[in-house]
Amino acid sequence: MNNIDLSEKLLKKCMKAGADAAEVFIQTSRNLSIGILRSEVETIEEASSRGVGFRVFTDGKMGFSHCNDFNSKALEDTIDRAVSFARLSSPDDSNVLTGDRGVTQVADLYDPELGAVSMDTKIGMVLELEKAAMRDPGVTKSSGAGYGENESEIFIANSNGILKSFKSSLCSLRVSVVAEKGDQKNTGGEYSTRVFFHDLPDVEKIAAGASGKAVKLLDPVMIKTQKAAVIIDPDVARSLLGGIITAVNGERVLQGASFLRDHMNRQFASSLLSITDDGTMPRSPGSSPFDGEGVPTARNIIAERGILRNFIYDTRAAGRAGVTSTGNAIRRGYSSLPDIGTHRIYLDPGDHSRDEIIASTAKGLLVLELTGYGIDPVSGNFSGGASGLWIEKGEIVHPVRGVTIAGRGFDILNALDMMGNDLDMDKSFASPTFRIAEMQIGGK
Amino acid sequence: MEIEKYSAGNIPRRRFFEMSIRGGLLIASAPALLTQLTSCGGSAKDSGEFGMDKAVLDRVIARALANGGDFADVYLENRVSRQIIMEESQFRGGLYGISRGAGVRVISGNKTGYAYTDEITEKKLLHAAGVASFIARGGAGTTPVNVSAASRESWVTVEVPLHEVSDDRRIEMMKRADQAAKDYDPRIRMALIEYNDEVRSRIIANSEGLFLEDELPLLFFVVQVMGDDGTSRHMARERVSFHSGFEMFENVSPETVARNASREAIAMLDAGDAPAGIMDVVMQNGWGGVLVHEAVGHPLEADNIAKETGAFTGKMGQKVANECFTMIDDGTLPNFRGTINFDDEGTPAQRNVLIENGVLKGFMTDILSAKQLSMKRTGNGRRESFRYIPIPRMTNTFIAEGRDDPGDILASTKKGIYVQSLSGGSVNPVTGVFNFTCREAYLIENGKKTKPIRGATLIGSCMDVISNIDAVGNDLDFGPGICGKGQSAEVTAGQPTVRIRGINVGGSRA
Repeated sequence: MNNIDLSEKLLKKCMKAGADAAEVFIQTSRNLSIGILRSEVETIEEASSRGVGFRVFTDGKMGFSHCNDFNSKALEDTIDRAVSFARLSSPDDSNVLTGDRGVTQVADLYDPELGAVSMDTKIGMVLELEKAAMRDPGVTKSSGAGYGENESEIFIANSNGILKSFKSSLCSLRVSVVAEKGDQKNTGGEYSTRVFFHDLPDVEKIAAGASGKAVKLLDPVMIKTQKAAVIIDPDVARSLLGGIITAVNGERVLQGASFLRDHMNRQFASSLLSITDDGTMPRSPGSSPFDGEGVPTARNIIAERGILRNFIYDTRAAGRAGVTSTGNAIRRGYSSLPDIGTHRIYLDPGDHSRDEIIASTAKGLLVLELTGYGIDPVSGNFSGGASGLWIEKGEIVHPVRGVTIAGRGFDILNALDMMGNDLDMDKSFASPTFRIAEMQIGGK
Repeated sequence: MEIEKYSAGNIPRRRFFEMSIRGGLLIASAPALLTQLTSCGGSAKDSGEFGMDKAVLDRVIARALANGGDFADVYLENRVSRQIIMEESQFRGGLYGISRGAGVRVISGNKTGYAYTDEITEKKLLHAAGVASFIARGGAGTTPVNVSAASRESWVTVEVPLHEVSDDRRIEMMKRADQAAKDYDPRIRMALIEYNDEVRSRIIANSEGLFLEDELPLLFFVVQVMGDDGTSRHMARERVSFHSGFEMFENVSPETVARNASREAIAMLDAGDAPAGIMDVVMQNGWGGVLVHEAVGHPLEADNIAKETGAFTGKMGQKVANECFTMIDDGTLPNFRGTINFDDEGTPAQRNVLIENGVLKGFMTDILSAKQLSMKRTGNGRRESFRYIPIPRMTNTFIAEGRDDPGDILASTKKGIYVQSLSGGSVNPVTGVFNFTCREAYLIENGKKTKPIRGATLIGSCMDVISNIDAVGNDLDFGPGICGKGQSAEVTAGQPTVRIRGINVGGSRA
């Protein structure tokens, strides 16, 4: 039985089992991953799988179950579990299934040739990637290189009469190397993800990213505890700003668990900051014609010149807030309930080149590595571990490792005083280089 | 208000011992879910007499090694899981899941081939074996030994099996926690309560002739509460988890879990800015052990050592830490969240001393890294599910108890930070550079814990931190966590109260 017929059949079974409303979510997928270490194949992993998740409602109460066993007895048992679990839940008028029949037209989400590219071609590419990343004389060891691909097909059917499906693909390359000098060790890694195999960037470019990061931070000098400018590399923008995404989660806002809960249509950040979440970009990882519960995807402006413009919602949170879903129900697979998340985040680029930003900084830290949890979405505080390059009088003077940077979220966001023009769309949180005029730096 | 203690460390040793013996018998005599697994439905139609006939596994292993290779194994898994979520005193919904499948692995030299299937039939297993064997093309071969059943000691006891517990009782635990949080203080605005349980059944068979089966129950109860006084907010968290039956809630009441979280949420509403820079840190006993889990534990996992990139590469037998520092990974602590009886490759769990009185004594291995390094298998080959290759992972990892009185450790620290609990953190296993975020922390002024301070990051390198631990308390305690390393594993981290001289604290003021 094909998955469309199966979806309809399972939907009927849910209703027969006692559901007033139901949703069937089937996902099939195929994965391949290749790992290379020191010019030898280290791992090859391959698998196909299929699973189904059931969301059922009785008297406004929701239950969910999933299984990957498609014999009819197992499927019926799983549906019964969802129905009996629903009875335990609290009724929730907002928790309804979508009736939106629309789909957003998004071109090129599936590469039909991905699976046809030979294993030897893929292995060869990863071997090349590792070799290229080892070419820098400062690089001493490889931590491994890899290739991964995934094809997936999703079917959503619900009792409002919706039946939607779409196919997608992803492929990625990654490499990580070590630079050693005396007792010093530093690592550098780079990755790239595309929908189409032939869109993957040249291995030399990925390799240069990894080896550059590994050697750049050798021979660091510790700096004093002080306040200074902090320049954020596109690579670490998510590590600082990721908390904003959680803070605009419509459900967290309704619960009061967001530092941005009272800031709708108010200036909360520098006018240089504009943030968009886009689920409609063609040929882009993260794009899809509809979200994890079948609502058409959209392009949502979250921040416009520092003014908060939108929270993001799924159907349930939108119902509670009295607005409509923004198409941000994200599903991590058939075994997960839809939850609020983003598709593809990007910042609007500014006017300055990265070199201009560095040249105009009297004293500051260009942050290349940033650890920690980012701006806390509840309290709005930020503290992280940083490494990078120290700048004095507009020039890079030496690497810095093992310092901290910290501040309050609103202070940091309002102190953003230079936005770069070097937007790097290769990252899942795409950002240009930008500068925070002043932050507390913890050193010796 | 005092923190109510509930960790397993407080259950008397003897009781643990009794529970273990009883549990061992229980597990051996009643693997209920495996009976389901071996007799379960539709797959049987495809392959005639399916069952978990050992001859089928022999044929799969033989197929896996048909192209060459040194070792092959088959891992079958059936996982039944439940999750119930309560937010703002409402049950958001219940989640029930069944996940079953099998993976076939072939090791040839340093290479690993892996394939999995979510249909457990001989046909699909043979197909997976064929895919996994691709990697061994042209390599030397080995002749597999036919599998026969082996036995392993069990460290997991079950008094009230999870499948006998009604969902109403699960919900009752959550309601009690929710009520206790609300009753604690009017500034507790919301509780997010998550109840998780699962029973994971495993069959492991390999080309060395091993055949093992068992099932592990796991409970995980998480209470998050938000304190909000109108000007400041803090989300606090408390977690409890054991490989155990539902009797866990008799040892640890839901109210205790909720009150601990509430106490933190209220205490931190008055938090001020943390100072920045290098200072002394006293870490309270318990989950703070996650710092050494990350900073020292991960670099001691043997896969990075085998790659010759790990921070401890070439340091075996050398003094790497202060003499007061001993660190242990022990997969046999009765019912602990990290306890696994045997790892997902079938190696018995054991107590592995990693660093003893400052000297590096051991790495944590799986089958592949043990072979690569010519070391013993330590029972640390773990996997998230049948969809993943086993890799070296920690179980219950802790700093061994020392001699110092925790009160003296604080009193002898003139100035610094007292860390009562950490959120979590990460490490780069190659460089050993780690970072942590404090969840609940206070200033130390003249040997006394004073003002609460907001979520500061702690950073440092593993080598520095273990050389700079200069006081180890006599109050070992543990906390449960989830460890991520490309795949997730349930673990426990523990430590007595310790003092670390000179950690960089990421505060927002000078």
